[in-house]
Amino acid sequence: MKSPAILTALSLSLLAADAAAQEVIYTNFIRQFQTPTNVVWDASSEVSPADSRESDLAINPGGARFELWTVANTSPPTSRLLDTAYVGTYVPVATVTIRSEDPYIIPRTRVDRPFYVDIEVTGLLNGASDPAASKAVKLTRHMQSYGVGGTGINLDRTQASLVSQSFITTNGPQTITVPAMGTAVTGPGSKIRGEERFTIFSIEDSRIAPDGVTYVVPETQIASKLIQIWPMADGFITGISSNQLVRYQLPQLTLTLNDLYPSSTTYVQVYMGEPQLGTQGRIVPGSAITINDSVPVSRVLVIDDYDEVFDEDGRWTMELVTDTPFGVERLAYVSFDLDRTIKVNGSFVTIE
Amino acid sequence: MKTIPCTLFVCAAALLSAKAQPAVAAMQMRDVASQEELLLERRKALQIDPMKHLATATGEDPSKANQPTDILAESDIISFRGLATLVPKRAILQTPQSYAGHVKMEPGARFVSWREFYALNRGWITTVEVSREQAEGNAPFAEETRKFLGTNRNLVVATFKGGPVSVLPLKEPAPETAMQTPTP
Repeated sequence: MKSPAILTALSLSLLAADAAAQEVIYTNFIRQFQTPTNVVWDASSEVSPADSRESDLAINPGGARFELWTVANTSPPTSRLLDTAYVGTYVPVATVTIRSEDPYIIPRTRVDRPFYVDIEVTGLLNGASDPAASKAVKLTRHMQSYGVGGTGINLDRTQASLVSQSFITTNGPQTITVPAMGTAVTGPGSKIRGEERFTIFSIEDSRIAPDGVTYVVPETQIASKLIQIWPMADGFITGISSNQLVRYQLPQLTLTLNDLYPSSTTYVQVYMGEPQLGTQGRIVPGSAITINDSVPVSRVLVIDDYDEVFDEDGRWTMELVTDTPFGVERLAYVSFDLDRTIKVNGSFVTIE
Repeated sequence: MKTIPCTLFVCAAALLSAKAQPAVAAMQMRDVASQEELLLERRKALQIDPMKHLATATGEDPSKANQPTDILAESDIISFRGLATLVPKRAILQTPQSYAGHVKMEPGARFVSWREFYALNRGWITTVEVSREQAEGNAPFAEETRKFLGTNRNLVVATFKGGPVSVLPLKEPAPETAMQTPTP
């Protein structure tokens, strides 16, 4: 028998913020599932939000799975599985961490950026008499597309597609690199949106306990993490065309912005001269939009009365720029000529 | 007399210098990749298996079996006066008709832990502490517990060390000798 520690390494601060934004109250529950008896014990009262202690319910030779859930008082109530851990007699320990260039607390990236899956396995055995379940773990890669315009909210993750599965037979850390545009999520080119999940499973185990009972423990999840893949933004400026001669007043502009990254600032800037990538110009008033969200955002902005940024006549370039955790990118640009000089044809005559 | 052109020259030079200075600073920026570039990059990227250094496994998708199910589907909700809690299915041993209306979600109720909910509702909820063997269905309830359940008019929840626990049906002992069915 074994009394495992219930660990609550929680993203509770995230949930608290989430709750405040949606005016919904989240409550956390910990459940212990005995394998293979299927006895379920509510251990929620056993652990405070940031704490650890041993479970009072001893584990059968088949092991036990711990699940950390949060439940919202929406109508109807909704739940979200935050974390799971499987504890057994000789189940190896494994951790999965996913890194990207976006430091957001939930792993996420953009389809054209790479990401990294750090895996560490300890406790694998290699003796001739050691049971098979102690010698290897299984790594699976799943993907699930959100569909066109999808956000992944209320996603049924049981419908995820298995991309590949592999054995890990050695202890230690390793990193799997998924290159730019290499996500397994399917979709239309730069507009892919979905998620990938990397999971470590124990190997199926069958054994006879000292009490004579045969325990068959199926492949059980040890650790799992997912990363969201968001599309690339696009946008364009209408209302002014390339090489247009603008006289007197600047025309009304319309900015069409699609799939702005959840953490980004997008704006229009202008500077004198021909297009030169990397030039920092003056930001057109009313054109800047900052997104701090969990999903991409699309917007249409109409801009008037922005003449003040043009301090003299001549050749100007206007650029639509987006600043994301992946760098600063130019989405569109247009160059035009500005001539606001008023010429008066006349003459002065004096009469005495 | 010569100072005037010189002053003018200096002024003109200063003006030219100001004009020659870029009005804007440089920054790291790139053009967004074109669709053609992205498609080419994707074709190349998909030819790389990031897990190729690992031994390939076969078999059914392990996530399809033994997958965590929704806690709401695996629980009974008990609610009363704006508060609600979850207990595992089969943890409620007895539901008198008078309290059957509380075994559901009260609209707008706030979820709290079992301990908090029970502390506020001891008047109509009673707990029966069970052993691990009883929860597994490997041991019967004591006679006094069965009598208690027969007479108690409260909602009764099985607990282990104070936490609600599911109680599986008591397993029938296997018959000592198997009956042989005679063949005609």
